[in-house]
Amino acid sequence: MNLYKYASPATFYPLAGKMIPWFAIPSAILFIAGLYVGFFVAPTDFQQGDAYRIIFIHVPAAWMGMFLYVLMALYAGIGWAFNARLASMMASSIAITGAMFTLLSLVTGALWGKPTWGTYWVWDARMTSTLILLFLYIGFISLQSAIDDTRRADRAGAVLALVGVINVPIIYFSVQWWNTLHQGATIRILGKPTIAAPMLAAMLIMLAACWLYSVAVVLIRLRCIILEREQNASRFAEVNA
Amino acid sequence: MNWPDLSMGGYGFFVWGSYIFALILIVWEVVSLKQHQKTLKQQQRQDAQQQQRSSSVSPSVLTGSTNETTS
Amino acid sequence: MLRWIVWRDLTLAWRRRADILSTVFFFIIVVSLFPLGIGPETQLLRSIAPGVIWVAALLASMLSLNRLFANDLQDGTLEQLLLTPQPLFAVVFGKVLAHWIVSEIPLVLIAPLVGLQFDVPRDTLWILLVSLLVGTPVLSLIGSVGAALTLGLRGGGVLISILVLPLYIPALIFGAGAVEASIMGTSPAPHLYLLGAFAIVSLIFSPWATAAALRISLE
Repeated sequence: MNLYKYASPATFYPLAGKMIPWFAIPSAILFIAGLYVGFFVAPTDFQQGDAYRIIFIHVPAAWMGMFLYVLMALYAGIGWAFNARLASMMASSIAITGAMFTLLSLVTGALWGKPTWGTYWVWDARMTSTLILLFLYIGFISLQSAIDDTRRADRAGAVLALVGVINVPIIYFSVQWWNTLHQGATIRILGKPTIAAPMLAAMLIMLAACWLYSVAVVLIRLRCIILEREQNASRFAEVNA
Repeated sequence: MNWPDLSMGGYGFFVWGSYIFALILIVWEVVSLKQHQKTLKQQQRQDAQQQQRSSSVSPSVLTGSTNETTS
Repeated sequence: MLRWIVWRDLTLAWRRRADILSTVFFFIIVVSLFPLGIGPETQLLRSIAPGVIWVAALLASMLSLNRLFANDLQDGTLEQLLLTPQPLFAVVFGKVLAHWIVSEIPLVLIAPLVGLQFDVPRDTLWILLVSLLVGTPVLSLIGSVGAALTLGLRGGGVLISILVLPLYIPALIFGAGAVEASIMGTSPAPHLYLLGAFAIVSLIFSPWATAAALRISLE
């Protein structure tokens, strides 16, 4: 079976369309299941009361922000190295979803911080790194929107994403370092070794739900991007004919 | 199944706020994408119609007929 | 070839001395804004000095970045440079070196004077100078990637800032950290070593990334 034909945007377009419901519907089901386990099965936390229940959306969102950035860089790199348009379009599509999850992670983190540690924003290593990750997403998206030529935008984005992905561990390490130097009293609670099984289950179910949601949404946006580029290309050809 | 304390021990604003914000983001993303898709499909149809019209106009232009197309 | 490029860029920069001076003035003005905004209390100023001076250096560096390639793009030299048989990353390295000498060294030299405004102790002023000396190459190197990516785009300086400032953060943390350690009395050495390591890694990878970005922007 020749899978390479799906590297063409025109061929992938209908396949993507068929795939979307297979991800969207299970995603919705898992969201409901995850929230059920998180709210009805998991017990009230000994230390934090019921406020801890935010983690069921905060932690998956944070992980998705990070995974999607790496995935975006991967697709962008593939698109650049193999001159594969579809891969570059995937990267551009992932960027916005990744940025949104990162934003969600920051907002829910702040809402968790207030009842737990007293302030909305805590400059700890994880929150600060997440903020910087959001900046990296914004940089990628801004660069691509500033460039009109799609091929240049794809390739420039790839360079930026790859530079970013290499810098992420360096940034994370330096922020950790910075944080231990200026150590406040806060200690990350999620580091505790015993986490009740229903809590872990709820988090993992929600993470799976977020993954499926991301695939569905990225495919929808990808189809929009394919349509847009195809239209621009045919109009350009008409004008120049 | 044990019903959770809906006020979340007084932290209702934070917990429900988080989930509502998540819901807003999800809904916004999906709705704006659907909108965008609709606009693109519309434009696609318009472009196709224009192409049809222009391919039916050109023969008369070439033969210099006095038929004028209504725009 | 490398020597020629460095010499050429230095000569061109000398003819536009005003540009260089404006970067230095910007640095001084920005640093002076903080006491005006926060208050003249000496204790407070001493504690914010490392961060403020370093951030001002970052911002001043960023403003000087579009000078790196834009002028050559305008007069057509850049395209010629891409066509030479010399490896492009060597050309890039030469330009970045010239940029560092012209735009960053003045900051390094002025910084201790500015540090005096914040009542930074004398030994720390040395550390401040060293930290900037080691850290500013990073600013030029990583900045050159941003400058190459945004060549010819509208949005100018703000776009470069959005791309490049997050990548500057490790340099900021270690650079300002070194100065702060010195003020506190602890050893700035670990910070400076890490900063140096970061500089070396940037030195190895950025000219290559910048060269790739230049080709992408110019085709």
